[in-house]
Amino acid sequence: MSSAASLVQKPWVRWASLAVLVVLLLVIPLLFDATTNATLARIGVFAVAVLGLNVVMGYTGQVSLGQIFFLGLGAYVTAYGVSQDWNIVLVFILACLIPAVAGLLIALAAARLGGLAIAMVTIALPIVGVPLAKRLSEFTGGSQGVSAQFSDAPDWSGLADDQWQLYLVILIGGITFLLTRNLVHGKYGRAFAIVKGNEAVASSMGISPYRYKVLAFTVASLIGGVSGFLYMVVIQYTSPETMSFAHSIQLLASMVIGGAGSILGSVLGGAYYVLVPQLTNIIDPNLTALLQGAILLLVLFVLPGGLVSLPRLWRRRRGKGSGTSPSPLPAPTSEDTVSIALGSRGSTPPPPTPPTESEERQDT
Amino acid sequence: MGTFIQLVFDGLSTGSIYAALALAIVLVNQATGLINFAQGGMAVLSAYIAWQFTQWGLPLILAILAAVVVSFAFGALVERWLMRRFERGDPDTAVVVTIGLLTLITGFCAWLWSYNNRLFPSLFPLETVDIFGAAVSVRSIGTIAVLIAIMLLLQLLFIGTKLGLALRAVAINPQSAAFSGLPVGRLLMVGWGLAAVLGALAGVLVAPSLTLTPGMMDGALVYALAAVILGGLSSPIGVVVAAWLIGILENLAAVYVPFIGHDLKIAVPFILIFVVLIVRPQGLFGRKVVVRV
Repeated sequence: MSSAASLVQKPWVRWASLAVLVVLLLVIPLLFDATTNATLARIGVFAVAVLGLNVVMGYTGQVSLGQIFFLGLGAYVTAYGVSQDWNIVLVFILACLIPAVAGLLIALAAARLGGLAIAMVTIALPIVGVPLAKRLSEFTGGSQGVSAQFSDAPDWSGLADDQWQLYLVILIGGITFLLTRNLVHGKYGRAFAIVKGNEAVASSMGISPYRYKVLAFTVASLIGGVSGFLYMVVIQYTSPETMSFAHSIQLLASMVIGGAGSILGSVLGGAYYVLVPQLTNIIDPNLTALLQGAILLLVLFVLPGGLVSLPRLWRRRRGKGSGTSPSPLPAPTSEDTVSIALGSRGSTPPPPTPPTESEERQDT
Repeated sequence: MGTFIQLVFDGLSTGSIYAALALAIVLVNQATGLINFAQGGMAVLSAYIAWQFTQWGLPLILAILAAVVVSFAFGALVERWLMRRFERGDPDTAVVVTIGLLTLITGFCAWLWSYNNRLFPSLFPLETVDIFGAAVSVRSIGTIAVLIAIMLLLQLLFIGTKLGLALRAVAINPQSAAFSGLPVGRLLMVGWGLAAVLGALAGVLVAPSLTLTPGMMDGALVYALAAVILGGLSSPIGVVVAAWLIGILENLAAVYVPFIGHDLKIAVPFILIFVVLIVRPQGLFGRKVVVRV
């Protein structure tokens, strides 16, 4: 175990694994058939959405039940922009900015109340969002929804549509992941972690919990907007149903199951969001919701760190016998889960924890 | 004027349903510091249980009473076997647990009773009575009366009985309560059971007009949470007043503000919340929480 860990610590191993990852991401769209590519692209879309939720919830500890609203908003902005024949770059920027501004305004009010008020306010977003989208039918096409085709492969690329779309998702999603990773590992990430850990301590260190909560929520909304744009790239159609309450809850469950406060966990969460409903539908469509709830509760009981903590937990079990005392946290605030998260990965970064630990990870 | 009075009464009636659910949320929050997002789901389950009893031939009132008893037991069991593990930990985790519970219960109802709408018989006759020239339904008045009765009973329980005193002691300081020999665990179970009973009443009161579906209370839960924020978590009276206010305002806005209409009236409490949060962050009636470091 220790030799494996020290191997992972070496810089060249990290660079090599990074290079392998990049090459893999570049090659994957060429390898599979259209259906697999479409599924992978959808996983990418929802991985970005889960990542956004992770910024506000996993890293900053503010429960948000409305993340899907920002995905829907970004998707609608994209659809509207495309229907008006705006430049696609402009559309992308608007699809990021408009949800971010909406998130900022909501957070400015919601973050004023401490504790769970953000959860209690954001639960309204999908529930208000659906009738609102139906009402503003000039922009949204009402209950019918809107479709927008702008992501067909250009002729010069020589790619099929599904390959082109997957490349777009990998490119935009990859940049989003990279930027978010840097954000949560730097100064802001440490501030988020302190706000999450103890607001009084944060205040005493000159970190305003209010400002950082608002910041985290705004960043999450912006990432939600990005995922909305990608949603339109891949699915090319959105309706009020996209941002339903059930989807919002599913997104939150995916984040917890993938691993709160973890970059890799966001990818796993995206995969969970897309794949597991397909599986449970095969078993019995009537049981889907029941199974999803049961899986979420089961994970909270036996694997509070999410799927991403699995390798570490397994190693620990083998190493120290049954020395695990799972703390009831989906995210690493307690010593216990922090240590789970710290050792669990090679090339993927662990979540930010007290400053000393984050600093030595800066150069990874 | 007739329409106006009618709208106010209907608003009070829907507000009473939100109030019952909101009181359940406050009760759980006071006892355990959690927000139970599954409260609405548990209420739906209770309503389904009552419906099932009526299908088995029980008279409606007995079916409701039976559902209330089952709900109490279910609430207590949820506290003992599910929530207790998470009560001392991070409140965010506990919230996620209640959301998992909500998904589980909704899924269970959908699996057992399907997503089809079920007609739920009304406890009150469908007649209307004339009040100041407005036709007000007996159902509205009955719902308001039930809520007022609930409030009086709760007040009686918490102020007038030993059990209420013990429950309050646990809510204020569980450790001291345990030191003075109170069975804290069992009292928490009673608190959750009572909350489930309140939810059950809200469920059977709202089911006749909404028809029974697994997602029936999602909207009501949002309204109840809005009432909890507006009224302040520490003030049951404030929560009830806020719920009534929300019920009346959304009804009036639906009719008198053309843009809002009936489909967007759920936005009303949140516009209200935005205004209140900016002016008075602790809620209309709440106390400011001071945290000791």
